[in-house]
Amino acid sequence: MSNLKYFFEPNSVAIIGASGRDGSVGNVLLRNFLSKKFKGRVYPVNPHYGEILGRKCYPSIIDIPDEIDMAVIATPAHIVPRVLKECAEKKVKSVVIISGGFSEIGEEGRRREEEVVKIAKESNIRIIGPNCVGVFDSKTGVDTVFLPRYKLNRPEAGPIAFISQSGAFASAMMDWCASVRLGISKMISLGNKCDVDEAELLEFLAEDEDTKVIVLYIEGFKENEGRKFIDAARKVVLRKPIIAIKSGRSRGGARAVSSHTGALAGVDQVYDAAFKQAGVIRAKNFEEAFDLAKALFMQPVARGPRVLIVTNGGGAGVMAVDACEELGLCVPELPPEIQRRLYTKYPPHCIVKNPVDVTGDTDALRYRIALEDVLPTEHVDTAMVIMLFTAPLLDLTVVDHIADIADSVGKPIVTVVMGGMFAMRAAELLEENNIPAYPTPERAAKALWALHEYHRRREEIRKILFGESGYALKKRGVKSNE
Amino acid sequence: MSKARKIIEEVLSEGRNFLLESEAKMVIADYGIPVTKFEIATNEDEAVEAANRIGYPVVMKILSPDIIHKSDVGGVKLNLKNDQEVRQAFKEIIENVRKFKSDADIRGVTVQEMAPEPVAEVIVGMTKDPQFGPAIMFGLGGIFVEVLKDVSFRIAPLTAYDAREMIQEIKGYPVLTGIRGRPPADIDTLVNIILNVSKLVMEIEEIDQLDLNPIFAYSKGAKTVDARIILSKPEE
Repeated sequence: MSNLKYFFEPNSVAIIGASGRDGSVGNVLLRNFLSKKFKGRVYPVNPHYGEILGRKCYPSIIDIPDEIDMAVIATPAHIVPRVLKECAEKKVKSVVIISGGFSEIGEEGRRREEEVVKIAKESNIRIIGPNCVGVFDSKTGVDTVFLPRYKLNRPEAGPIAFISQSGAFASAMMDWCASVRLGISKMISLGNKCDVDEAELLEFLAEDEDTKVIVLYIEGFKENEGRKFIDAARKVVLRKPIIAIKSGRSRGGARAVSSHTGALAGVDQVYDAAFKQAGVIRAKNFEEAFDLAKALFMQPVARGPRVLIVTNGGGAGVMAVDACEELGLCVPELPPEIQRRLYTKYPPHCIVKNPVDVTGDTDALRYRIALEDVLPTEHVDTAMVIMLFTAPLLDLTVVDHIADIADSVGKPIVTVVMGGMFAMRAAELLEENNIPAYPTPERAAKALWALHEYHRRREEIRKILFGESGYALKKRGVKSNE
Repeated sequence: MSKARKIIEEVLSEGRNFLLESEAKMVIADYGIPVTKFEIATNEDEAVEAANRIGYPVVMKILSPDIIHKSDVGGVKLNLKNDQEVRQAFKEIIENVRKFKSDADIRGVTVQEMAPEPVAEVIVGMTKDPQFGPAIMFGLGGIFVEVLKDVSFRIAPLTAYDAREMIQEIKGYPVLTGIRGRPPADIDTLVNIILNVSKLVMEIEEIDQLDLNPIFAYSKGAKTVDARIILSKPEE
């Protein structure tokens, strides 16, 4: 199947519609590919230039004396079909169509898009777009994001792949990830999805070694596309988690309903059901999506819903309990023998029921004791560690203690770090050690929920796909990472 | 050909896309979904005989492809306790329907067992989603569904896990586990009904929309009191 790899690691690229005019789309595109990061060969194409940025410019892709793996088209829409035919003649493997002016503008554009699809089908060209910002790959330097770097910073390499229907959303996300130093493996903006869609990309990213978690931004599926998405996602979530942000736009074109059920079937509820059944974790928004992504690539899954809370602030502990319970997690009281064991190591003013409150005079060691003595036991599945660094004796050695235990325990730990500059330094240090840190108990609870939800959904899907044994799954070519 | 499939073909061959209540109940019964006992009667004598076989009290409802909202036109009579009441109800139902639509195609009345008071009324339905195909719905009947829209969905085909989860997901779920000294509803039976609806709509693709509303849930078992099935319009 997949010749999608030419979108991410082409040996040669033609920029059709390259331009000498500073700041124009065709100019930014060319500059992107001329950066040191991209190791492939780059050819500008535009009949109006002999040379751009010191490179020989070709009147047409046909004139390039080299094989071309990928073409990026940023010409006016009406000449795209002609340019695409030339790509076909040149035996180009993948094409990103940046240009707008297709099905999104109405009947004329729709006909143009159909023509594009026809040419692509006949010549085995794969298309991303049209009407998109295309592809970004932090490793190979492929970058069709036509926005200049001083306005839109590029994120560093990392484990998150991002697929977005909206180009604006994708660009904003990249800039934001760069600013908070969250690493991205690949970003794909799909635009009108005339060829490559979410389902196919998910299956491609399942195989991608640089991607550990996939974040999707979806506005809506085309008719019957939903079913295909569920089938694809189910196979992928066995290997890596998928997080989806679905915007709540209503479905175009109301449909006559004469049943109760029809009248009650809100678009959102049906998507919600589909995500659950596909094992896809739904996030409310951007911020939450990356909160959850962070937890899912840094920590193992939670095999149950029982949370150990360790805190040095009583109020924060109560907030954490409320947040956990609201999400269907539970905070069980620790059994008496464990409480007794903790009291042999703690002063009597500590509270050891769960939350374990190590109180304001805590040092780093009290955190270690709670995690070491309780987290490995059969009574809890996961831990939330809340640290108010205003406590005078609490220093950053607590990070080493937590990281130490996280490495050996096989259960997830998330942290809540509340406070200003010092707290932010602690949060950075924690995340360098693959311990996710959040500014509030609510956000940390949602991360724990996601670690449990992913596990639970994946087990159900494993049963659906494997049946009683692994045989059915193997037969269908589905791989599992466990 | 299954009994259900045969009924669907007959309805389509008549150029209809609405199943009569009796047809809808026979279709779902063929898929193992429990329904109230019923018989079709075309005159007063037949109605009385049917009522005696089913046992009093009974319910009578108009059977006509021209009448969709049966109670709105006076086409339903509840809690009939003896032969006399059945005869009277038969006359009144036919008269009411004729008043509403003089040339209505009346196929008779259904005489049905009057299902006893349930632990809870629930609704199971299906609608075709343009992106995902058949979507199955579960909810509690009455104000829960009418006012609070307290329902949950899953895309067919469903697993037992899906079915159980969609029951637990609704806010009114405690009503089914027994509150204020009421016994809990038979959740396993509801799970089976949902799974059988999933099977039915996957196997008979012509079904466009389906409402089992209400289903009376008991502490043991359940009974579908009213059922509506709408087929997709044949290609024109």
